[in-house]
Amino acid sequence: NGHTGAVWCVDVDWDTKHVLTGSADNTCRLWDCQTGRQLALLKTSSAVRTCGFDFSGNIIMFSTDKQMGYQCYLNYFDLRDPQQIEENQPYVSVPCSESKITSAVWGPLGEFVIAGHENGEINQFSAKSGEVLRKVKEHTKQINDIQTSVDLTMVITASKDNTAKLFDSTSLEHIKTFKTERPVNSAAISPIMDHVRCTVAVGGGVNIVFAVFFHAAYEEEFGRVKGHFGPINCVAFHPDGKSYSSGGEDGYVRIHYFDPHYFEFEFEG
Amino acid sequence: MRDTVMEDEVEFEEGEEPSFSDPEDFEDDISDQELLEDVLRERPQEADGIDSVIVVDNVPQVGPERLEKLKNVIHKIFSKFGKITNEFYPEADGKTKGYIFLEYTSPGQAAEAVKNADGYKLDKQHTFRVNIFTDFDKYMNISDEWETPEKQPFRDFGNLRHWLEDPDCRDQYSVIFESGERTGIFSNDVKEPILVEERPRWTETYVRWSPKGTYLATFHQRGIALWGGEKFKQIQRFSHQGVQLIDFSPCERYVVTFSPLMDTKEDPQAIIIWDILTGQKKRGFHCESSTHWPIFKWSHDGKFFARMTQDTLSIYETPSMGLLDKKSLKISGIKDFSWSPGDNIIAFWVPEDKDIPARVTLMQMPSRQEIRVRNLFNVVDCKLHWQKNGDYLCVKVDRTPKGTQGVVTNFEIFRMREKQVPVDVVEMKESIIAFAWEPNGSKFAVLHGESPRINVSFYHVKNNGKIELIKMFDKQQANSIFWSPQGQFLVLAGLRSMNGALAFVDTSDCTIMNIAEHYMASDVEWDPTGRYVVTSVSWWSHKVDNAFWVWTFQGRLLQKNIKDRFCQLLWRPRPPTLLSQEQIKTIKKDLKKYSKIFEQKDRLSQSKASKELVDKRRTMQEDYRKYREDALKMYQEQRPLRLQLRGGVDTDDLDSNVDDWEEETIEFFINEEIIPIGDLA
Repeated sequence: NGHTGAVWCVDVDWDTKHVLTGSADNTCRLWDCQTGRQLALLKTSSAVRTCGFDFSGNIIMFSTDKQMGYQCYLNYFDLRDPQQIEENQPYVSVPCSESKITSAVWGPLGEFVIAGHENGEINQFSAKSGEVLRKVKEHTKQINDIQTSVDLTMVITASKDNTAKLFDSTSLEHIKTFKTERPVNSAAISPIMDHVRCTVAVGGGVNIVFAVFFHAAYEEEFGRVKGHFGPINCVAFHPDGKSYSSGGEDGYVRIHYFDPHYFEFEFEG
Repeated sequence: MRDTVMEDEVEFEEGEEPSFSDPEDFEDDISDQELLEDVLRERPQEADGIDSVIVVDNVPQVGPERLEKLKNVIHKIFSKFGKITNEFYPEADGKTKGYIFLEYTSPGQAAEAVKNADGYKLDKQHTFRVNIFTDFDKYMNISDEWETPEKQPFRDFGNLRHWLEDPDCRDQYSVIFESGERTGIFSNDVKEPILVEERPRWTETYVRWSPKGTYLATFHQRGIALWGGEKFKQIQRFSHQGVQLIDFSPCERYVVTFSPLMDTKEDPQAIIIWDILTGQKKRGFHCESSTHWPIFKWSHDGKFFARMTQDTLSIYETPSMGLLDKKSLKISGIKDFSWSPGDNIIAFWVPEDKDIPARVTLMQMPSRQEIRVRNLFNVVDCKLHWQKNGDYLCVKVDRTPKGTQGVVTNFEIFRMREKQVPVDVVEMKESIIAFAWEPNGSKFAVLHGESPRINVSFYHVKNNGKIELIKMFDKQQANSIFWSPQGQFLVLAGLRSMNGALAFVDTSDCTIMNIAEHYMASDVEWDPTGRYVVTSVSWWSHKVDNAFWVWTFQGRLLQKNIKDRFCQLLWRPRPPTLLSQEQIKTIKKDLKKYSKIFEQKDRLSQSKASKELVDKRRTMQEDYRKYREDALKMYQEQRPLRLQLRGGVDTDDLDSNVDDWEEETIEFFINEEIIPIGDLA
């Protein structure tokens, strides 16, 4: 129990001390992971769409939706300063007037947040000042999901424009594009990331849906997995890279283990 | 002059008016040309006006009561070429003489009128002859010495058959995508389509190829355009406002355009027949409705075209565009007709009339001789299906036999190549979904039954007078039959509502070679050689998954081509072969020798392709590896920062902090059981 509306996002800090959740009940809440006790409640004017702990676990960010006259904001709180929490005063609050944030992740060292917007833009917002450090517009439609590589050096974006793209986290250099024939709802990078093996999983679709796997360097699709009865909303690799899970509109979470062939096969190259 | 004026002023004495006249010996050194150039330019020339006059002969001779109407018609036709400033209708004995004079504002407009209206058929008895008035003078005064006429500049479109010279015999196809914004022409290669030409907004709705593949027709608000040659230059344009439908004559000499906008009682413009090479409008026709396009059906050699109206069959001949024998055929109750694709024979049918049974008639053109008449009884409906070479005609007859309520279907097979055209009947027990003749062969396929129990039957029309059922497959998911244009192979497809089920069949032994699926496929198109099949999902029928897939004739999937908002793919037709039967026989005999050469070529190109692919992959790999190397270097450099952020805890490797792991043993209560030990004693 806790939120009184749909929970849109959840994150846990690096040593699983705290859990951060954002919800459509216009609050962002901090919890103690072990006991489940609510530690802080931050009220907002609209639904909290994304949230996350930075690399150190000391700074949290969350973004609110553009709703009912309220703008989309990206807020930063420093957990080491109890006053900010008590007075619900973020030390930086960035308004996004043009296009609302639809997904966001922290950069590798807690210096900035990488945010994906409704219009396909990707912006780096400084965690110190809130200013835009870098921006790119490679996607033509809404960014549905952003996930980081396990070492945080790369991010993969999933977009409604039927592609997923790989970017360098720091420079936002566009490295790879993975094309499908349907809008991509979610994308993830395999943690087993040597230069040969990096695979990318995307899920999406409207009627018949697949989790699609790409060879990261060649940008070529090498496999599809059927199974969900409705669109796949999110995909994630297990940290050991030996399995992946997908959650769908049909209400199922599926966990698939890769067979030995997946680890062995090589493209001619 | 200035000096002169100054001088005058100087000599001026008070009280006296200065003289502004030129001195007596002044000579004007400015010409009229300089002073009045613009005015002189418009000085009427002696020959002016006459060059802009045309004479029109074979104009109907009318009395005063119809003169106004005649003038309106003439005006309508001739004001297309320019502004008519003057008209003269000479009369004699109360009627117009039959020739008139029209004047335009420029000689250029008059020339246009001559070019386009000369030969225009106003009606059965009047074909205009138009000439420039001054030409009469010119022709009267032809010098006795022969002067070689000046050469017209040659408009070179290149080799219009250029695509046939592709050394790898790739066929072309047109693709409309981005919901009609872009049209592209591709060459069909096994690996992937090769782009030949792509243009934005090349057409406003869709495209059509001419029957021999020479021209690509595009549609525009003002009319259609024909493109061709290696670079797809614009070869010809036909102005027909609001054109919706077109049809080509099989010989590619004529194109027929239809527009619902342009029709008027005096000047039929709904359907226009054009000469493709000259761009001339040959004749215009009325059109009540375009529901069964093409309204005009062409004979296979382009010599005749015909259309059916109430109780009438009108047959016209080319190039005159006049009615054959100057009158239409009265056929009371005629329901449908079609030309044999191999001979100038028309088949038509009329339904029952009181006590005269329904009948199908085969009529030879131009003699109008009835070759065969077949009476049919209790007919509800008939459909005519010609085999591609005109060897057979199948009439699908729906009948309600006497005393029954239901409808049964027969196929009446006319053997066109046999004396007196014998007819054999095949009775079908179930309702028919689709029927198709094998091109170049003597088999036909029938889909019959009712969903979900649909069956396909293959029949062979044998020489000994029998029609044999070769094979039947039941429980098919199909609503359409697509034969290969060369015969023998076919694809059964369940399009649209049947979710794109596909079956590839070899009818030489009636085996199903492959069963596959292209989810939500809306179209199936064979290439003209019968080697490839394209299945596609058009944006016009389904808004997602728009793509076209290329298969071999055996049903092996070669490519999946996703194109944003893909709408339509059309293969470019090939003209008939130039080889004689003898030459074809010789080539078939040596096929083994040729196939060895082709196989080697294929292997080479495959390995070249793999090599290209391998090289490409290697480069991508190398680039990616380099990127990762640099990224990892930076990652290593940032290690101290990471340690700092996490209070000295090293989290770079998953299992790095084994020391931090605690092992806890927990005991928890499962069950309690009290067992009385009892009296020990």
